[in-house]
Amino acid sequence: MNVVKIKKAIFSKTLLRGFISVAGLILLWEVGRRLKLPGLAAVPAPSEVYQSISASISQPKFWDHWISSFSRVISGFIAAQLVGIPLGLMMAMSRTFHATTFPILEIMRPIPPLAWVPASIIFWPTTELSIAFVIFLGAFFTVVINVIGSARNIDVRYIRAAHSLGSRPWDIFWRIILPAVLPGIFIGMAVGMGITWEVVVAAEMIAGKSGLGYLTWSSYVGGNYPQIIIGMISIGIAGYISSSLIRLLGHYVTPWQRTQ
Amino acid sequence: MSSAIGHSGGGRISIRNVTKIYDPDGAKVLAVDNCSLEIEAGEFCVLVGPSGCGKTTLLNALAGFHSITSGTIELDGRAVCTATHTEPPSAERIVVFQNGALFPWYTVLENITYGPEVQGRSRREAREQALDVLAELGLSPIADRYPGEISSGMKRRVEIARALINDPKVLLLDEPFRAMDALTKGVVQEFLLRALDKVRKSVLFITHDLEEALFLGDRVVIMTTRPAQVKKTILVDFPRPRTFKVRSSARYLELKAQVFDAVHEEARKAFDAGEREMA
Ligand SMILES: Nc1ncnc2c1ncn2[C@@H]1O[C@H](COP(=O)(O)OP(=O)(O)OP(=O)(O)O)[C@@H](O)[C@H]1O
Ligand SMILES: [Mg+2]
Repeated sequence: MNVVKIKKAIFSKTLLRGFISVAGLILLWEVGRRLKLPGLAAVPAPSEVYQSISASISQPKFWDHWISSFSRVISGFIAAQLVGIPLGLMMAMSRTFHATTFPILEIMRPIPPLAWVPASIIFWPTTELSIAFVIFLGAFFTVVINVIGSARNIDVRYIRAAHSLGSRPWDIFWRIILPAVLPGIFIGMAVGMGITWEVVVAAEMIAGKSGLGYLTWSSYVGGNYPQIIIGMISIGIAGYISSSLIRLLGHYVTPWQRTQ
Repeated sequence: MSSAIGHSGGGRISIRNVTKIYDPDGAKVLAVDNCSLEIEAGEFCVLVGPSGCGKTTLLNALAGFHSITSGTIELDGRAVCTATHTEPPSAERIVVFQNGALFPWYTVLENITYGPEVQGRSRREAREQALDVLAELGLSPIADRYPGEISSGMKRRVEIARALINDPKVLLLDEPFRAMDALTKGVVQEFLLRALDKVRKSVLFITHDLEEALFLGDRVVIMTTRPAQVKKTILVDFPRPRTFKVRSSARYLELKAQVFDAVHEEARKAFDAGEREMA
């Protein structure tokens, strides 16, 4: 991107409108709080939040919360991909394997990840492991279902064309099936990433000793109301960063998708 | 003849007494009934016939995509498909599909190198050969594009190039230019003719477009309504290389009348049979 394009992007109408609406929301909230409108009376005003931001973010502890949430999300998420993608591919390619594993998956899948928290705490030796496990589950089912779905939807013409061009089974897998399911994998990842953040925050509130969910909840318990808002905004930003990274990775790994 | 798109010429195909019964859940469908057809090495054979008569079934059996119920299909005297044995698909019998099957995740160049690479050529060697083929067929400017970025006419050309680089004995095309506008179709037909002028192949080409059949083929084979059998064969004796001019010759109109008559008769039968089934 050259300078002109960057300038254009910064001063584009879309961005300007977005800026105006966010600024408007903050203004309304400030005014509402000052006028003690019902519902807003107990919520700290943006100006109060703003004042405590510097106090919060100058503490190294604050960033430790970021780091622990992020490392939980990343490890649980990556584990879910590492187990879920191969499992989904195997289920899509072998009828026998599908028939034996799918019922188990379908019984487990409707259980919300948070319902696993108590069992998980009992089962795993440390709280950290049980939180990681719950996060893993949050992303895992989405991944598996997306991989199966996109592997099943591969057009048989591609497989036939590949055979007709002299492919061995190995080529069919690496050069046809895998690239064909990649876009589906990334859709699964984007959805899974969203679920992962929901789960990590809730799990930290219930059982954590650190992390952004814990920060938000402990601010409430400790009566530090502006910091509740700071915690919430942090979670929003962290989630946004994570899904942007997935999108970026998707763009890089599946460049042909932009041409469709 | 030296050309980047191959030199092996064509293989001789014999389809002898082939019958194919589809049997999904016990509901037997007799798609091809005791059908015989010979295609000489290097001959361009066009198959026309009513919809659902069994043309694709025959082509897929020859490609190795499915078995047949009885009969034999031979390529250069070797049985590739019988009731008991179906040789798996290979690069000596390459299929170009009705809706196109370029891999969307590969660029044009990567699509072309696909065949040579999976057949064991080194990446560099495959790439050099592919660039030669693209140059020879006038496709170099789009080498680095993805299929999603090029027109349908271009896609068909690339797909033909992707088949030809493997120097197959037989080219199998199942309504490859269907649903194309007349102008693009004309351009792609000429592209196919020019490529085959450089290197002759045995071709089995299915179409519903009778003009296309006469423009491209050495022989037009008209099939009966299902179950498929050969109804009539018409030799198309225009010399090669052919140009669009043949389409305005008197001989062309003569042949066209013959083909139309035969196909129309079968289409009527198919239609009436359909009406009866409905009633
Ligand atoms: N997999 C299948 N299972 C059962 N019946 C099939 C199958 N494939 C094709 N048929 C039937 O066999 C007959 C011949 O089909 P085929 O596709 O070979 O016809 P076609 O001549 O290629 O038709 P079209 O011109 O419409 O492409 C049709 O009646 C079709 O319904
Ligand atoms: Mg067909």
